[in-house]
Amino acid sequence: MIGLQESPEVAAAAAAPIAGGGNWTLHFLQGITPEAVPGWILPIVTASISVGVVIAMISVIAMLSVWLERKVSGHIQCRYGPMYAGGWHGWAQTIADGVKLLTKEDMVPSGADKPLFMLAPAIVLGAIFGAFVAMPLAPDYFFADINLGVFFILGMSSLTTIGVVMSGWASNSKWSLYGAMREAAQVVAYEIPLGISLMVALICAGTFNLIDASEAQRDFWGMGWFIFKNPFVIPAVVLFFVATLAETKRAPFDLPEAESELVAGFLTEYSGIRWSFFFMEEYAAMFLMSLVMAVFFFGGFESPVTYLAAESMGLGYDHLVTNLLGAVTLIVKSMMGVLLMMWIRWTLPRVRIDQVMTMGYKYLTPLALVCVLGAALWEAGKQAIL
Amino acid sequence: MPEVTASAKKFFPEPRILPGGEREFMMDVATSDLEVSMGPQHPATHGVMQVLLRADGEMVTAAQPHLGFLHRCAEKIGENVEWLQYLPYTDRYDYLAAMNNNLGYSMAVEALLQVEIPRRAQLIRMICVELNRIASHLVAFGTYGLDLGAFTPFLYAFREREWLLMIFEKICGARLTYSYLRIGGVFNDAPPGWLQEVEHFCDVFEEKWKEYYDLLMVNKIFVERTARVGVITKEQALDFGLTGPMLRGSGVDFDLRRDMPYLLYRQAFEDGAFEVPLGRGEKGELGDCWDRIYVRVKEMMEALGIVRWCLGCIEEGPVLGEVGKTLKVPPGEAYVAIENPRGELGHYVLSDGGKGSSRCRVRGPSFCNLAIIEDIMPGTLLADAVAIIGSTDVVIGETDR
Amino acid sequence: MSEQQLDLRAEEQARQPASIGDYFKNIWDAVTTTVAGMKITGRYFLQKPITVQYPDEQMPIPERYRGIHYLEQDKCIECNACARACPIDCIEMEAVRHGKELEWIKFTIDYQKCMFCELCVYPCPADCIHMGTEFAFVTEDRSEFNLDLLSYKGMSRDARIRMKEAAEKKAAKEAAKKAKAKAEAEKKAAEGGDTPSEDGGEEGTDA
Repeated sequence: MIGLQESPEVAAAAAAPIAGGGNWTLHFLQGITPEAVPGWILPIVTASISVGVVIAMISVIAMLSVWLERKVSGHIQCRYGPMYAGGWHGWAQTIADGVKLLTKEDMVPSGADKPLFMLAPAIVLGAIFGAFVAMPLAPDYFFADINLGVFFILGMSSLTTIGVVMSGWASNSKWSLYGAMREAAQVVAYEIPLGISLMVALICAGTFNLIDASEAQRDFWGMGWFIFKNPFVIPAVVLFFVATLAETKRAPFDLPEAESELVAGFLTEYSGIRWSFFFMEEYAAMFLMSLVMAVFFFGGFESPVTYLAAESMGLGYDHLVTNLLGAVTLIVKSMMGVLLMMWIRWTLPRVRIDQVMTMGYKYLTPLALVCVLGAALWEAGKQAIL
Repeated sequence: MPEVTASAKKFFPEPRILPGGEREFMMDVATSDLEVSMGPQHPATHGVMQVLLRADGEMVTAAQPHLGFLHRCAEKIGENVEWLQYLPYTDRYDYLAAMNNNLGYSMAVEALLQVEIPRRAQLIRMICVELNRIASHLVAFGTYGLDLGAFTPFLYAFREREWLLMIFEKICGARLTYSYLRIGGVFNDAPPGWLQEVEHFCDVFEEKWKEYYDLLMVNKIFVERTARVGVITKEQALDFGLTGPMLRGSGVDFDLRRDMPYLLYRQAFEDGAFEVPLGRGEKGELGDCWDRIYVRVKEMMEALGIVRWCLGCIEEGPVLGEVGKTLKVPPGEAYVAIENPRGELGHYVLSDGGKGSSRCRVRGPSFCNLAIIEDIMPGTLLADAVAIIGSTDVVIGETDR
Repeated sequence: MSEQQLDLRAEEQARQPASIGDYFKNIWDAVTTTVAGMKITGRYFLQKPITVQYPDEQMPIPERYRGIHYLEQDKCIECNACARACPIDCIEMEAVRHGKELEWIKFTIDYQKCMFCELCVYPCPADCIHMGTEFAFVTEDRSEFNLDLLSYKGMSRDARIRMKEAAEKKAAKEAAKKAKAKAEAEKKAAEGGDTPSEDGGEEGTDA
């Protein structure tokens, strides 16, 4: 990044050693463990706790998102959604569905490639679990401080495609194969605009690291969001959002999954807990991509509220309250993105596969490149003038 | 090029020379077409119909519809029951537009009986038939969106349809299979307040129509999915004997209500109550799927015009002609064709003076319209196959009877 | 490549945007129509839904609704007009005539066959069979679908006659009591309330 000046916080965070830094859990455990315990156990315990928290988070998010989707779709369609399970607006509906799916017979169709059939949902869910590791929740609460954060996330979330294609092939059904082939083509086409439009934000951020990118949006009382920094970022957000819809197989790009045209796509032969793995992956990926969008375009865990807690009230960025507020802010922003995805799903019809390709290669990619060029020139111009 | 051994030639055929003189690409990959059955159980065939497709990758190379899964021997039953007893069976072939079926049968028998229908009965018949046309086109519109992945317009269409079904429930007691338009008129007079409710419905529906148009019809993705897809030329439409919106979507200006009028449609047309919407190739080519669904959506508005005209000139009077409790139909034959929401519905009734008809043949528009998909599907993509079948708006109950 | 595939290729070429203006028009159309659609769905998201929570709440059923039949047994003359009118022959009735009186044995409609067409209502000369507003009919035993519409089912004719006479007698007694009380009250009002009438009230014996 030629000529880009890093803000002092970013420079300090980048210069701090990993062993001395590290997240809140590590600090907390370091504070309370007795001297006799050897030092190398702590990171392992922290990692295990983080993994547990990630799994819990994904499960809760998936459960909440499924319920939310059903309620949102219901209210858009002038009806209530679930109202019965659990009493108030059916909040326990997903739990009931989960229990039902767990108790279903585990069927593998005859003629299906059994190892691949069983491995596919595991790969899909495992990849998303892995991608969540790079996710920051707060200035001091993260699971792993990965310097190549967003690069890692994009890479891990692309691994899910392998699982989808595997499931389509292993199902031994023509419809599944169609769905899997379409999925592969679609994901490949939209990886490019996804990465390129994200690069616009990276130009403003100066780093791949999600935590540093969020912290860089701390100016102007927590409203120094990248979306206000550069006029080319606004079209980039739109392009990124559209590419996200295609990556997570959401309408209007949901050819691989919810094909009311051709039965149920690559999911046709899956039932029970394996099917629910695919759906957990879908909602987790939606949340993850929303989170990336929130971090790189909309301020991450910085907002006037966290600024208030940290600076005006003098608590600093290490305090529990600031961290909690930051986590809440980030989760709220991500859920806004998820809600927007749901809103779009229930409004638009499905795009045909060749039109998906046309849109990806002929419309989104050139526009993303133009945005990158413009953003780079803008930043260079700003440096030259100021 | 490397030498292809004799044994390998079995699996790798010789490259073909294309008309332009160039060699076929990827000549060493021999693929066979995939035979896929859009089986009797399918979310997107409107009923139990099987379409056998042969697809080369994503492109359909042949299509063949198979019918008969919903055959219920309606015409044979017509020979064995009495005149009035056959009426509920007529409801059940095109169950989305049951009033029209009743009308067709009743008019055929009335042609034999030579009985005069009172004016109030004719106006109430017209109101019911046109409201049913709106209800049927709402289903066509909603399910077409559903086939293409737009889940919400379906629910909005059904919200209006629910109101229509409640209106019908108030006048005849049933929501789907009415048996209301009897031989000689209608069965019951409208209850008090019914006509006002119909007028209220007309006012509200006009605003909702704009919503349907904005939500689905002009949506860029919907236009991309349906424009230039499944084009039926004028000549093709006339050759295959298509009727209804499929014919008018290709630009042929023919509507039985205006050209061979029955009930009071001639008067309504002369008073300017309705026009016949035609496809114009607005968003693509003339005769594509968008034109056909546009004709249906526009017909909903025209039907409102007819209903308002009928409400304007309705008067008191009897609602059932002089037919008596037991029908004595003189021997003879009659063919009456009316404009169903799907096309021309014809009833041919042969009487030999007995208690029931001795032959009751039905010309179902869906059956005749379905013949064209075998011709227009090859060359389209698999996703377009669904769009084309949806745009024909078949009801398998009518196709199979 | 078959002819059709070549034609399709040619069509594809023809379908490309002819100019750069078309390219931007496509983008603009996509954005504006999407936003217009989202406005509509967003508006409905914020409105109250129109559905009712069945079975806790129910939609109102109009009075002409064609539901389960009910029979006015006293008017029926067992003429079988409704059974003849039924297209599916699902009405069966049986009664014994005692002069002008009818002793009913059964009057069943087979609801496994009935299609609720209302053709049985129209030909009845005594106007005694009607269709009600009940539509939910759930049983666990198929034989219950042959619903017997008789209200005095299982009672013999003599018992029914006796019941009717007793009811008439009781009604007559009530009427007589009322008339007597009214006469007493009038007398009291006329005399100004001097003589308190001891209205013992006859206790009539039940027959």
